[in-house]
Amino acid sequence: MSEFTYGGEYRDMPDPDTCTDKEWAAYVHYRNGAPGLKKEWWYHGPSGTWFIAERDTMTDKISRTYIAGQEEAK
Amino acid sequence: MQDVVLKSPVAFAQASKKPVNGQVNGMEIALSFADASVEAAHSETLGICDVSNLSRFGVKGPHAADWLTASNITLPAGTNRWTKLDSGSLVMRLGNTEFLLEDQPENGLCQTLSEANVNESGVHKVIRNDAAFIVSGELTPALFSEVCAIDLNGDALEDNRLVMTVIAGVSATMLKQELNGQSVYRIWCDGTYGPYMWKTLLGIIEELGGGPVGFNFYYKIN
Amino acid sequence: MTGRIAKKRGEWINRDKPLTFEYEGQVVNGYEGDTISSALWAAGIRVLGRSFKYHRARGLLSFANHDVNALMTDGEDTNIRADVWPVSQGMALSAVNTDGGVVKDRNKYIDKLSPFLPVGFYYKTFYKPKSLFPFWEDKIRKAAGLGKVNFNYPRILKPKRYAHCDVLIVGAGASGLSAAVAAAKQGLNVILVDENKQAGGSLTYDFAGDQTTADTLNNLLDEVTSNANIRLITGAYAGGYYTDHLVPIVGVDGITKVRAKTVIVASGVFEQPPVFRYNDLPGVMLGSATQRLINRYAVKPFQKGVVVTANDHGYRTALDMAAVGIEVVAVIDMRRDGAKRDLAEKVTEKGIAVHKGSCIYEVVPASNKMAVKEVVVCHYNEDTAEADPRSAVRLSCDGVAMSAGWAPAAALLYQAGTKMRFDYDVQQFVPDQLPEGVFAAGKVNGVFDLKARLLDGQRAAVEASNYLGNASELITVTNPEMASPSHPYPIVNHPKGKNFVDFDEDIQVKDFINAAKEGFDNIELMKRFTTVGMGPSQGKHSNMNAIRILARIRQLPVEKIGTTTARPFFHPTPIGHLGGRSFHPHRYTAMHQWHVDNGGVMMEAGVWMRPAYYVPAGSHLSASDAVQEEAMAVRQSVGMIDGSTLGKIEVFGQDAAAFLERFYTGKFAGQKVGGSRIAMLLDEAGVMVDDGVAVRMAEDKFYVSTNSSNAATVYREMQRNIQLWGMQVTLVNLTGAMAAMTVAGPASRSVVETLIDIDVSAQGLPDGAYKEGQVAGIDARVMRVSFVSDLAFEIHVPYKAGMHVWQALMAAGKQVGIRAFGTDAQRLLRLEMGHHLVSHDTDGLTNPFEAHSESLVAMDKDFFIGQRSLKIIEKKPLNKKLVTFVLDNGFTGELPKECNLVIENGDIKGRVTSISHSNYLNRIIGFAFVSPEQSKSGSRFQVRTDSGAMVPATVTQAPFFHLLESKGA
Repeated sequence: MSEFTYGGEYRDMPDPDTCTDKEWAAYVHYRNGAPGLKKEWWYHGPSGTWFIAERDTMTDKISRTYIAGQEEAK
Repeated sequence: MQDVVLKSPVAFAQASKKPVNGQVNGMEIALSFADASVEAAHSETLGICDVSNLSRFGVKGPHAADWLTASNITLPAGTNRWTKLDSGSLVMRLGNTEFLLEDQPENGLCQTLSEANVNESGVHKVIRNDAAFIVSGELTPALFSEVCAIDLNGDALEDNRLVMTVIAGVSATMLKQELNGQSVYRIWCDGTYGPYMWKTLLGIIEELGGGPVGFNFYYKIN
Repeated sequence: MTGRIAKKRGEWINRDKPLTFEYEGQVVNGYEGDTISSALWAAGIRVLGRSFKYHRARGLLSFANHDVNALMTDGEDTNIRADVWPVSQGMALSAVNTDGGVVKDRNKYIDKLSPFLPVGFYYKTFYKPKSLFPFWEDKIRKAAGLGKVNFNYPRILKPKRYAHCDVLIVGAGASGLSAAVAAAKQGLNVILVDENKQAGGSLTYDFAGDQTTADTLNNLLDEVTSNANIRLITGAYAGGYYTDHLVPIVGVDGITKVRAKTVIVASGVFEQPPVFRYNDLPGVMLGSATQRLINRYAVKPFQKGVVVTANDHGYRTALDMAAVGIEVVAVIDMRRDGAKRDLAEKVTEKGIAVHKGSCIYEVVPASNKMAVKEVVVCHYNEDTAEADPRSAVRLSCDGVAMSAGWAPAAALLYQAGTKMRFDYDVQQFVPDQLPEGVFAAGKVNGVFDLKARLLDGQRAAVEASNYLGNASELITVTNPEMASPSHPYPIVNHPKGKNFVDFDEDIQVKDFINAAKEGFDNIELMKRFTTVGMGPSQGKHSNMNAIRILARIRQLPVEKIGTTTARPFFHPTPIGHLGGRSFHPHRYTAMHQWHVDNGGVMMEAGVWMRPAYYVPAGSHLSASDAVQEEAMAVRQSVGMIDGSTLGKIEVFGQDAAAFLERFYTGKFAGQKVGGSRIAMLLDEAGVMVDDGVAVRMAEDKFYVSTNSSNAATVYREMQRNIQLWGMQVTLVNLTGAMAAMTVAGPASRSVVETLIDIDVSAQGLPDGAYKEGQVAGIDARVMRVSFVSDLAFEIHVPYKAGMHVWQALMAAGKQVGIRAFGTDAQRLLRLEMGHHLVSHDTDGLTNPFEAHSESLVAMDKDFFIGQRSLKIIEKKPLNKKLVTFVLDNGFTGELPKECNLVIENGDIKGRVTSISHSNYLNRIIGFAFVSPEQSKSGSRFQVRTDSGAMVPATVTQAPFFHLLESKGA
């Protein structure tokens, strides 16, 4: 049984007040399937921690992980 | 609370082993399952003991560390570490801003803290319901190899580290400490998973040649 | 006469422990340490099985688990691999896939029909006339197949374990052992695994009559077993390679999942057969098979043999045979120039003739077709793969040892993503680009010389060590000059065929030619049309020859043909192993014991155990009667349900209210302390996820409850959004820490009042209000709710006091007939009240507008999750609406079920989501999705039952109690 839950791709939300309906619908329903570096939400159940992992979808290697908002922190 | 007798969350799962029960901290708990010599053998080979009834106190929040320090409690240095006070009480730092304290039977620190008023923001008491176990013996590596996917043989639990991981499919906190001169493992999980955890771990423990140990073995209560 | 040889140094059998067993009804002698096949062969038994398709008699081929000639059943288990399975006292075995025994198999006539059963025959025959196809299908299924499943197979638990190490070394042959010692010297933690019963690989049998090999082996083994940093696991195979160096080691008693920091694959090579007519007769076997028989089990492969070889290995085999007194008539070398002089002389010195540039054209069977009588040896043209029958010479013998070369056991390397290249010096695929942390050593790496292999193991260990951060000096390995260990095309054409390439699937050379003629000339198509490599051996002894044949047909170099994909598992793995011990956690409430003691029928609600209903001891209530009685008690007096499974989350902090405003659809900024509000959660698409209740305990503190099934999800999403929005909020998940119970019904207040120390009158605690007080002496959080009844009190106390409070309430309510009710009654009660259940009445697409929940959505807020999507949705017409309905009064007949469709004019307009008979109302009520046009109160619609009957229903107002007034209408 896994300790981690996948939380979907990390995407920046468009400003709901200024974006068009089409832009909003694309944000809600479309996902990027192109190969390359993808930012993903992951949740560690036992400690209740959300973090973001940057994963190369071609090699399946994770280059770094960080708490959202702390990309720059070491 | 008045004199209400409560039961360990694990109680009904242990009933079939017909332990001798007793009361500690207002909670009924299994004091012994067999002769002292049998229990000692279990403890040496592979044994599990329910210590859910020890007093605990939980607090979290950005200022929780300050509040505890102000109450003269020594805190462990880093994230996911623990320390033991002179009284024997355990102070665990779960992540960065959450703390769990556990008293030995004679202490009242946790009781005092839970009765204390908290008037500051950033300090939040956590109501706890833990199932807690002591697991000991030569064969603990064999037990853990079946119920835990992380490597506990390396330095994961050295230097006062604790881990929050999944044991037998349930989120649990674990550390290794000296108790009565023996190196033992401590496991905490949500009390509602307690009966399942007891039954599952005991099942594997018995397959490996060990058995249950009562509260009296570690804390001589009369 | 026994085929057993005098005691050999290092033999694997224990002559102090003889045993007996049965094979095909015949009693056979053996020793502890024998495999089933080695004991049978020693006893002179030659027919070990019948082939899959043509039912040809078969004996040993690889004797290494690279073929399935010898598959047996012991009555309980089947497909036992006799070549490697240890024999034990009293076993009673027979070959699988026979009708009437392995010798008398009634299906052996199929071999004569083989001209009509070429590859792919089933695609072309038997389908006309269509009516006869089931007959042929049944016949073919019975004739072709392996073991029969035993449905009474006992349940044996095979626990799964985890293990961790710095280096996992797959294969404990020369290079694997050497790598292990070198890695341990670097201070690394090593797990070394080998599928054979003992470590050593070919060092345990490939002696060529020379004892120094055994010395090398013993020294290495001593170093390995005495080193505490090396854990040696034998009798287990590495099943496959998974991401991040996860390798399951499959042993007899279960699987160990090894997570290694690095992996060294030293898995060796599979010997490949040369291909000539009747190379599958019992008595014809690979060279290494004869060596294993002789040097591990002290068994003679045959009395008088011929060796045919397309590489140097045949000479080594001949020397091992000569060393134990087997008469070797000749070594037939398919190479024009034969072997180097010193190797050839070693053989001729022993009186063995060597024929260069020759081949076995065909093996001549004994009259019973189950043994070798003689071989026909001809001159051989390597370029054309043709023998010259005019030069035929007959050599009488009872067995043939055949060698042609090797194919790498590289499955794990492929699975790890290694890019291989074809090396023409060794005529073998070798690793070219290895993935990070994965290394190869020894024969699988194209290194065959023993000294070089030992060094290659050390090289790999050093590379692994450096990968882990050390800085040891690298080792270079140079391969000495030697004849290619593998022959580029060891195939002998024959007009009559039966020259086998894949022994699992009875595939001959002409099958490839025919497949290519039909257009299946690409390796993937060739594999699937011919089925080469698709049998239980998965191509271990056949894939390389298949590639070579296809390359020649297509006139392309071998590396342009490619290879098919080797997938886990390396050997077929028992499903019981894959099942192992699995964990199914359960959660129990504080009142669990009470439910069990009072007749609670417990069921799984997610991971929780909850009572569905109660059948008290002594009563004989049916489930539906129990449910109706429990519900009736709530309507007429009072009932109590254990609601401890509710999600409970404390939300603290200066941003708590602002957080809830953004998270949920409702307004919380202005919520009064002591009040409760519905907390409806949507996802970003505007779909309903959860509806709970948020109580304000203080300015900066809320106590939020969620549906039981959504507790973990809501808590997780709260955490994520707090992080994303950067708000000052602390959450505490109290789901397991608090017990909760709801006392409901007209008499509920009177019961609660006797135990509580605060005012819970209609004014003191109005609907939706929250207060803290003591119930039965315990600090409690109390709110008035109206989910199952207009008057109900939800009481939350710390878990450890749950049982005490529950029992106190049951005692207090005894004189008004309080009844515990379970989840089934709860579902009926909330239905009577007209409350939908999210995820039961709503689905993955339902938005609040469809489920009459607009009033819970504060569209005028700045932001909440799902708001933007609702703004788009509200501009469009609705597709469906969730309504409450009632069936006609006095309805009898087949009751519609949840998910039965609402149909109008042949179109689907919706479906039933909840439906139940209510004793209290004496009507059948429910929820359904209907089209917006049908959704007005009073409107009629039809539901189609399972049997196709159409049942009329009427949309009605919720709650349903108004039906009581119009009873009789």
